[in-house]
Amino acid sequence: MATQASRAAGRLMISPAVIVLFLWMIVPLGMTIYFSFLRYNLLIPGDHAFAGFENYQFFFTDPNFWPALINTLLLVGGVLLITTVGGILLALLLDQPMFGQGIVRVLVIAPFFVMPTVSALVWKNMFMNPVNGIFGWLANVFGVPPYDFLSQAPLLSIILIVAWQWLPFATLILLTALQSLDSEQLEAAEMDGAGPFSRFFHIMLPHLSRAATVVILIQTIFLLSIFAEILVTTNGGPGNASTNLTYLVYSQSLLQYDVGLGSAGGIVAVILANIVAIFLMRMIGKNLEA
Amino acid sequence: MGQIELKGVTKRFGDAEVIPPLDLQINDGEFVVFVGPSGCGKSTLLRLIAGLEDVSGGTINIDGRNATDERPAQRGLAMVFQSYALYPHMSVRKNIAFPLKMAKMSKAEIDAKVDHAAKVLNLSSYIDRRPGQLSGGQRQRVAIGRAIVRSPKAFLFDEPLSNLDAALRVNMRLEISELHNTLKTTMIYVTHDQVEAMTMADKIVVLQAGRIEQVGSPLELYRSPKNRFVAGFIGSPKMNFIGGAEAAKYNAFEIGVRPEHIAVGPTGDWQGRVTVSEHLGSDTFLHVETQHGLINVRAGGEVGVHHGDTVWLTPDRSQMHRFDQQGHAL
Repeated sequence: MATQASRAAGRLMISPAVIVLFLWMIVPLGMTIYFSFLRYNLLIPGDHAFAGFENYQFFFTDPNFWPALINTLLLVGGVLLITTVGGILLALLLDQPMFGQGIVRVLVIAPFFVMPTVSALVWKNMFMNPVNGIFGWLANVFGVPPYDFLSQAPLLSIILIVAWQWLPFATLILLTALQSLDSEQLEAAEMDGAGPFSRFFHIMLPHLSRAATVVILIQTIFLLSIFAEILVTTNGGPGNASTNLTYLVYSQSLLQYDVGLGSAGGIVAVILANIVAIFLMRMIGKNLEA
Repeated sequence: MGQIELKGVTKRFGDAEVIPPLDLQINDGEFVVFVGPSGCGKSTLLRLIAGLEDVSGGTINIDGRNATDERPAQRGLAMVFQSYALYPHMSVRKNIAFPLKMAKMSKAEIDAKVDHAAKVLNLSSYIDRRPGQLSGGQRQRVAIGRAIVRSPKAFLFDEPLSNLDAALRVNMRLEISELHNTLKTTMIYVTHDQVEAMTMADKIVVLQAGRIEQVGSPLELYRSPKNRFVAGFIGSPKMNFIGGAEAAKYNAFEIGVRPEHIAVGPTGDWQGRVTVSEHLGSDTFLHVETQHGLINVRAGGEVGVHHGDTVWLTPDRSQMHRFDQQGHAL
């Protein structure tokens, strides 16, 4: 892309893709913003009067709003913590030469192929159910009363389910990063007197920081909008114990047929996602440079 | 102190024996170069000494102490890797300080040692840069700096100059030689380049297929190679080998004459036609097609011989090497 002509041609070539992407983003966003300022309930036909910031006011003063916000952040933070720490440990394990390495790696990736609703239902009915679940059975074996995960610790249970789904993703990215580490560096560190833990903290972990940044950024985007797992397991309950912002928007716009309120919630969620993104970029984005 | 003794050391990877039983004595303060063609096991041998590979048999003694089962760090050796193996996320200062930090030295002591090493190696002006911002030669110096701060018993160099360009290589060669003269520490240096071996070594170990072909000072190897392999490997341009009836005249299966030991003149023993003459100014390398095959000759810089000329070659009989059927020197 050296000459003026080839640069112009380049811009022309990518413009359709850019325009489609831009429309894809701006049309739904514009319509959501527009709806969020209307008094628009599907059960009340007739005019959609302009409502100003009324919808936003309702959304912010909803008693479920602050719990939902905190639940969202706990969900994202909890899953990120489990997947990055667990992913690094699993990657270290899978990097060791062992018998059946190929099969083990495929097995590790498997949860990523299971769709969220299915895996959440499997966890709900086959693992966490106090009567039919394997955890309940295990508790009975040891003579302990079974623990009803989804009603006693609903948010933690959902964090575990989602972390299980995302662990393979983190493991895979971190494993490839680990494999790109120059073995001479580890040998040099060994000659320099670094033990296994020093080698991990001084050589491997800094090397993994860039991959970990990618994992955290990508996962955050998806984890802010976790929905299916909540819908099929707890329905946001008991009460609002496992309601996150996405689920709150759903329950207001679809369960109460209030398009205006739901749109306002959606815009709030967009703003929240951007705030989180800015903080993340500030904190760890510099790892992606250089 | 840095005396290293290998007794019956062997190395096998699965069924393949890379290094058959091998004995070697390296004295304190010596500059020893392992040289051989690629795949001859010289790097493996160095890694065995470093402790990065386990020996399959035999013992390694360092300063009279059995170090065969010691971990690399316990052996008190320092290594400079081919890729330098600098830690990319650390500054030059932190790279050099890393082994001291691992040895849990005090901050003041570390700073003093790092500054001293940086001064010795002219690293002071870029001590706070990252390895990625340095040139090849500078990286090489940082790697050496990281090795010398520990005051090791011996330095191990694994083809340290192969990633540098020709001019820089000559400079670094001199710097490493000077470093050896100032530190007087044992150095073991692995290379496939016989010029590096000849110029730097006190003692050269020529290896082929994991076996030691000959051990000796550069001039010993040059003057009296034990066999055909060493004769062909040491010296540049390579020695000329002539077999058949011409060799039989000298009671040998094959004779070898170095290019610098052949005189060019209007009369002589072998007649030939010059195919290529390379004028280097100080020398002229002639490739002469004779009835005994292609013979390389190193003549003076002012020899006016060109492509297609017919010349007569006379080998210097006192400098001729004779080999038997097995390639051993007679």
